[in-house]
Amino acid sequence: MNPVDLIPVADTLTASNGWFQFFLMLTFPLHLFAMNAMLGCGLVAFISHLYPGRAHHELSHELAKALPFLLAFTVNLGVAPLLFVNVIYGHLLYSSTVLMGLYWLAVIPLLIIAYYLAYFYDFSFKKLGNLAMFVLLPALVLLLVVGFIFSNNMTMMISPASWSRWFTSPGGTLLNLADPTLLPRYLHIITGSLAVGGLFTALYAATVLKSDPEVSEAGQRLGMQLFFWLTLLQLGLGSWFLLSLPKQTMMRFMGGGTIATGLLTIGILLTLATLITGYKRLVMPSLWLTLPLVYVMSFMRDVVRGNFLHSYFDPTSVPVQVQWSPLVLFLISLVLGIAVIVWMLMQLPVARKAG
Amino acid sequence: MNYPVWYVPELGGGLLIALVAIVHVFISHFAVGGGLYLVMAERKAIREKSQDIMAFVKKHTKFFMLLTMVFGGLTGVAIWFTISLIHPAATSLLIHTFVFGWAIEWVFFLVEIVALFVYFYTFGKMDDDRHQIIGWIYFGSAWMSLFLINGIIDFMLTPGDWLSNKDFWSGFFNPTFWPSLAFRSFMAFMLAGCYGFLTATFLKDEVTRHRMIRYSGIWALTSLILSIPSGWWYISVLPEPAGKLVGGASPTIARAATIGSFSMAVLAGLLIALILLNPKARTRSLIVLVMITAMGYMGAFEWIREAARRPYVINEVMYSNSILKKDVERINQEGFLKHAKWVKNKEVTDTNQLDAGRELFLHQCFSCHTVGGFNNDIVSRTKNMSYNAMRKYLATIHEKRYFMPPFVGTDVELKALAAYLTAGLHNKPLTDDVGAAGDRGKMLYEENCAVCHSADSIKPMIKGWDQAKVRASLDKLPALNPAMPDYTAPAADKDAMAGYLFGLNNPGAVASAKDPGESLYEDNCAVCHSMEQIKPKMRGWSRETVRSSLDRLSALNAAMPDYTGTPAEKDAMADYMVKQMGGAR
Repeated sequence: MNPVDLIPVADTLTASNGWFQFFLMLTFPLHLFAMNAMLGCGLVAFISHLYPGRAHHELSHELAKALPFLLAFTVNLGVAPLLFVNVIYGHLLYSSTVLMGLYWLAVIPLLIIAYYLAYFYDFSFKKLGNLAMFVLLPALVLLLVVGFIFSNNMTMMISPASWSRWFTSPGGTLLNLADPTLLPRYLHIITGSLAVGGLFTALYAATVLKSDPEVSEAGQRLGMQLFFWLTLLQLGLGSWFLLSLPKQTMMRFMGGGTIATGLLTIGILLTLATLITGYKRLVMPSLWLTLPLVYVMSFMRDVVRGNFLHSYFDPTSVPVQVQWSPLVLFLISLVLGIAVIVWMLMQLPVARKAG
Repeated sequence: MNYPVWYVPELGGGLLIALVAIVHVFISHFAVGGGLYLVMAERKAIREKSQDIMAFVKKHTKFFMLLTMVFGGLTGVAIWFTISLIHPAATSLLIHTFVFGWAIEWVFFLVEIVALFVYFYTFGKMDDDRHQIIGWIYFGSAWMSLFLINGIIDFMLTPGDWLSNKDFWSGFFNPTFWPSLAFRSFMAFMLAGCYGFLTATFLKDEVTRHRMIRYSGIWALTSLILSIPSGWWYISVLPEPAGKLVGGASPTIARAATIGSFSMAVLAGLLIALILLNPKARTRSLIVLVMITAMGYMGAFEWIREAARRPYVINEVMYSNSILKKDVERINQEGFLKHAKWVKNKEVTDTNQLDAGRELFLHQCFSCHTVGGFNNDIVSRTKNMSYNAMRKYLATIHEKRYFMPPFVGTDVELKALAAYLTAGLHNKPLTDDVGAAGDRGKMLYEENCAVCHSADSIKPMIKGWDQAKVRASLDKLPALNPAMPDYTAPAADKDAMAGYLFGLNNPGAVASAKDPGESLYEDNCAVCHSMEQIKPKMRGWSRETVRSSLDRLSALNAAMPDYTGTPAEKDAMADYMVKQMGGAR
């Protein structure tokens, strides 16, 4: 069966494709930042349990308090990019979603359990003592499983050639395991996330936790170590991912395409620079290098997607029927919403003290 | 037809959506109403300078946060995940049409989260006025989420002017928008009161406990009372087919309405008892009952709303099986399988009929019918029908039962589906003339009635009835049960069916009604020519000649329309005509 025959017809857009691409590229890295912080915070809290002493115990405790927040924001900031992916690639995404329906639905209970474990970890930290790490560990594992399910869907939706398996297995139990890019891609993003998460923890320790110098120091040391070593590992994993890509796509990053090659070059340079700042434990310089790096990485991800879909789907071919007023209203709500959030954060006792 | 189908035979998608939706709705409305409840309860604490009430509000906020933010937020995402899995085409249409509505809702969701975190973690660490403002911001953004989702949900039931102008705002501010917003807001406040109970019963200090139970009870009861007229307003603006379904034409809605009314009455009774009559009755087990009945009331409303737009998933736009209404005519002409993406059999052939029928079932019926499962099981619903009866039923399925979408496709495809539903599921024979020689009343019963109730289930109900009573009841079926459609057949058919039904309890006693062939002749031919008039023309014809001529009437005489009866009916008519001419040759 020709995979092209299976691809559903895309629905009409209410603004030009560029707008949705813009919103997607804007919001997806925000989700990544929250997700990275969440995973890194969890991992550092766990590692910290393994060290003796008050400082490390307190560090775990402080990170435990942050975990539920980070989970809430990861989910919320995931909604927006998923919405825009639905708009641009919905017909592909829903198809692969049906193929792996059972796993896709499992995301929800897994997240709910992980979420409650995170709260349990926070609220019962004192009662549980060091045993708390056994509450944290399953939560972390569940979150990594959720990431794996997402990786499957995001790779399966851009591989219509694998879709005809549905005819023999329509029960929603298909994953994209045969795809050679799946594993390096998943490991690449998880390792990157944990590295950036380490950096976040160091930042958190250096700012919010600075009133307790010992705890602050422990957090910065663990966080930056994690950041440095995982980034080093990332050079290897990133190369593996690059080599696992179909040759044509890979070549675009190796000089074949200007944008792709440019992004990869900037990405590598930024990574090398963060290795230096990471080694020297310079938190703020590492942060300023990492913020653009995450954007560069997600742009590269988009280039890969575009290449995979090259022969199947051209987003600019979808019919458009523009209506401006809802778009404008969204932009206004976004600005006002952010303003209200900033105002509320300024009312926090911490902020008021600092002010 | 555009998307693959998630096929787990025993697990229907509809039930899954309903389960996720009812749980989510029960929490998300609390997330809205609870926001106001918290602010008002906090204000009460501030005004009365009560540390106990303030402690209660803080405790309630923690419970509120753990329930609404985690479970409420994620079940909301779950609905999105579930509908995109079960109804990908409809989800895509809703996402594309209202993308910026959803995007604005996301902004409010974000504000909501930040506000709730700030509110909870700054109890006692912020001055009262500022803390109250944060609370109000939480409630305002939560209610705005409701406002936005409400427009999109109601669009599915009443798309209004959007149908003609495709304008975002016409779809959003659709005919049921305002009544639904009012109803849902009161529901939200009512649930806030009920959940308030839940926390209040755990208060240790007796005076505060009683005060807060009473406070919560007044909240819940007032909102419950106000929800009734707004619910009525909602029903009154429903367009005709939906109004009729809600009025009793749909058995599932009738069932939900009974549950809803019962829950509401019990809930109101409980609230009155708890608030006014007997403070000692305020036990935890009663609070559980309050929660269950509140869920029953709310759940029944959602169930009715979902069911009222059938046979559509988006009213007048897309049928429950994802087929667009505007495509029906074209597909009927050109074929469903040819246009469907996720099918192996692109056309029906002699060798693939059953498999093509299975694929047609998958794409046109499975969205509502399980195979051997709990919800709308297709196996039990088709067991009484012959292939022939099934074909007839499918051809007019939407006319006979409005809430079923029409079969969409060619006649050959319809036969393939009928073959799958009878031969495929039940190993029934695929002959065209089942019932020809048999009882015509039985055949009519199978075609028109057996899909909902077997003859065996009807038999005890009409025990003791004489044939005239049975016959008379066939003229007024909706009066017997509002879920039954009128049986609009010619009198001769009703006579035949009455004879068959009467015979169920009185075997052998049936006065043989008219020859079925005679009735058919009268219904279809006698208006232009009597039997006597055509007898001479058929002199010397064999039974085969008579029978085959019924297949090509317009060829015999251009003025004659073709007879569109089934082969069985043609057989019966041929038998009758031959008998009139003095027997077969």
